[in-house]
Amino acid sequence: MKALVCFLLLLLLLLATLPSPTRSFEFPAREMADLIDQTCRLTPFYDLCISSLRSDPGSGAADVRGLARIMAGSVLASASRTLDRIQELLGQAPDPETERPLAYCAELYIPVVKYTLPQAIEALGKGQLGFAVYGLSDAGKEAQACEKNFSGLSWSPVTDVNEQVRDLVDVALAIIKILQRSF
Amino acid sequence: MQNSPSHTNAPYTLLPEDPSPARPPASSRRPVKVFAATAASVVFLTSLVMLIVNQSPETPTESDHPPRSDPSVRDRLSYNWTNAMFAWQRTAFHFQPEKNWMNDPDGPLYYMGWYHLFYQYNPDSAVWGNITWGHAVSKDLIHWLYLPLAMVPDRWFDAGGVWTGSATLLPDGRIVILYTGDTDESIQVQNLAYPANLSDPLLIEWVKYPDNPVIVPPAGINPEEFRDPTTAWMGPDGTWRILVGSKVDGSGIALIYQTSNFTAFEAQPGLLHAVNGTGMWECVDFYPVSTNSSNGLETSVVGPGVKHVLKASLDDLKKDYYAIGTYDPVSDTWTPDDPEADVGMGLQVDYGRYYASKTFFDQNTGRRILWGWINETDTDYDDLAKGWASVQTIPRVVTFDNKTGSNILEWPVEEVESLRLNSTEFDDILVEAGSAVLLDIGMATQLDISVEFEIEGSDALEALEEPEAIIECATAQNRTTLGPFGLLVLADKSLSELTPIYFHIAKSTNGSLTTLFCADETRSSKALEVFKKVYGGPVAVLDDEKFTMRLLVDHSIIESFAQGGRTVITSRIYPTEAIYGAAKLFLFNNATGVNVTASLEIWQMNSAFIRPFPLEEM
Repeated sequence: MKALVCFLLLLLLLLATLPSPTRSFEFPAREMADLIDQTCRLTPFYDLCISSLRSDPGSGAADVRGLARIMAGSVLASASRTLDRIQELLGQAPDPETERPLAYCAELYIPVVKYTLPQAIEALGKGQLGFAVYGLSDAGKEAQACEKNFSGLSWSPVTDVNEQVRDLVDVALAIIKILQRSF
Repeated sequence: MQNSPSHTNAPYTLLPEDPSPARPPASSRRPVKVFAATAASVVFLTSLVMLIVNQSPETPTESDHPPRSDPSVRDRLSYNWTNAMFAWQRTAFHFQPEKNWMNDPDGPLYYMGWYHLFYQYNPDSAVWGNITWGHAVSKDLIHWLYLPLAMVPDRWFDAGGVWTGSATLLPDGRIVILYTGDTDESIQVQNLAYPANLSDPLLIEWVKYPDNPVIVPPAGINPEEFRDPTTAWMGPDGTWRILVGSKVDGSGIALIYQTSNFTAFEAQPGLLHAVNGTGMWECVDFYPVSTNSSNGLETSVVGPGVKHVLKASLDDLKKDYYAIGTYDPVSDTWTPDDPEADVGMGLQVDYGRYYASKTFFDQNTGRRILWGWINETDTDYDDLAKGWASVQTIPRVVTFDNKTGSNILEWPVEEVESLRLNSTEFDDILVEAGSAVLLDIGMATQLDISVEFEIEGSDALEALEEPEAIIECATAQNRTTLGPFGLLVLADKSLSELTPIYFHIAKSTNGSLTTLFCADETRSSKALEVFKKVYGGPVAVLDDEKFTMRLLVDHSIIESFAQGGRTVITSRIYPTEAIYGAAKLFLFNNATGVNVTASLEIWQMNSAFIRPFPLEEM
């Protein structure tokens, strides 16, 4: 009798540990979504973070380091769009009062798009977090300097794009902080 | 102290019985920026402070050579420095290593988003020796990050030291560095080095060409007087040229070498230029300037609207001289515009404590940028005690002065303005003859000062009958009708220590007015062993110009620019009392015959937080 009880208990134990086929599909998907969600909660701009990451097809399967790289890529995309917009505005022959700060902004953004952000992304890939942080911070500083240079005017034609660059930088830096904390 | 008619315009006078100032002067505008707390209060001292007080004894007359000749005497005299005094001397926003000795700037360049600075560096001590190439990078020429040493003296061809050199960026994107190696037999040779990995934006690793040296001293040249190869420029035949400085029969010379591949060099039969009696030419620099625009020019540019600057560091005098002239690319010769002011005879790059300067073309922003090494003027003994020696200037943009047509202008790169915090403005402060005015700005050790002076009544200038020929800068206590007037920097309230930076105008025998721009270090510190003299030189002040100065004050270094950078003086100052909160800033006017009015804008400057590059990996 005792042996039978033991056997039944063991059988029960065995059944309990068998994975359910349906559950093995559910868990991975929910965990990955949670990672993006969990990560973005730790950044200063949750919605911006979510929309930037989810728009990248690779984000679903990425770990935190991968998410950091994707976010740095978003910063680069935003900075490139900003530079394009600045050059477009310059091409429209604006009055001298607007032209000067726009030209100054272009000078700030060109090395950011050409060197600083690509190098930061590469550094993230190699695990060189310090280098990546320096580069991303610098990109944020240049966006701020560009905006500040319009202080004489009542409005700036690039405030929205400058702000987006800075916000994305802040999100990227927050994600890298998560990485730095875990090592 | 009495209110005479000329004082009725003065906002108020501080009377001896009245310790608190009256209402703030009306003429002083409210500060532009938010933080200037005590902006409007200005204290007038009408006593003749210059004449009355002379606290420190006259320093013995010195040659222009730094005081290295009698170390035992100097050691005995060494001031009783405290750690706090030494710590104060370190600069907040000028480039210097964390510790030990630095000298000449080397191979400056811009590459893949980073400015690079290399520098002569002794990793083992605060005096010269065991010279390596230190390395630092920056995105903006101000915020520097230290990297590992680029080169150390580990080959026979540089065993005695990896000495000064220059970088050339080739059109195909490669970088070559040529530098002087002091061989294991103390022969000066020129060596080639290049980055190990051009895709590393930080250019951390360097490779020395295995078949170094690429140039050895030629016949007729002393093998210990052959050094400091320049950046290369391309000739009309598509090959490259560099210069190496040397000396023959007391004449400083620039030897030309030609190459197509940087490994095989051919000595040119002629010289680019030579000047009798100037002695050994170190750190030769040769570069084009545009005469009709403020843009910098890449080193190979020639053509109309272009002049060439030839510069040499004179070993005998430890001063940097330059001249502007015309370069003939066909004959590879250079002729000065004014032979009377040839290299070593006329203009100095900087009239202060300054040496081994070197320019590079910044292709990122299209500027010609100038670096200069600033040695200490305290003793080796002090340097070893405090653990470091030397700083670099804030990089300066070099342009041709097309108002005078005969000199360059040097101006701190505008990126230094990113360090500006709050500012205080003063408008039309009257500084009467023989008086000083304390400027209430809070801390006075990290400042960016712009000041404009006007002499009251231009008739005063014409009324000057007696010629008072002043050929060179004398101490600020030397009073004449029209000067000196300027600023007292790093001065304590009682003026027991002070550094006057000033203009001194005189009428020469032929009736014309000349202006000198001077820095008087003779009373800058009570420390006896510090080498203190008066520095400076002439500055052209054109008819429509006011007298303008810009000063960068950063603890033990002051960079002073007159008339937009026509004449520049760098000073090293080691006060014992005028440090930290005790350091003050004054206007002063020690003229006997005129009042001046001054308008200033003064910014507090942030630190540049120069630190190691965050290279750590995950």
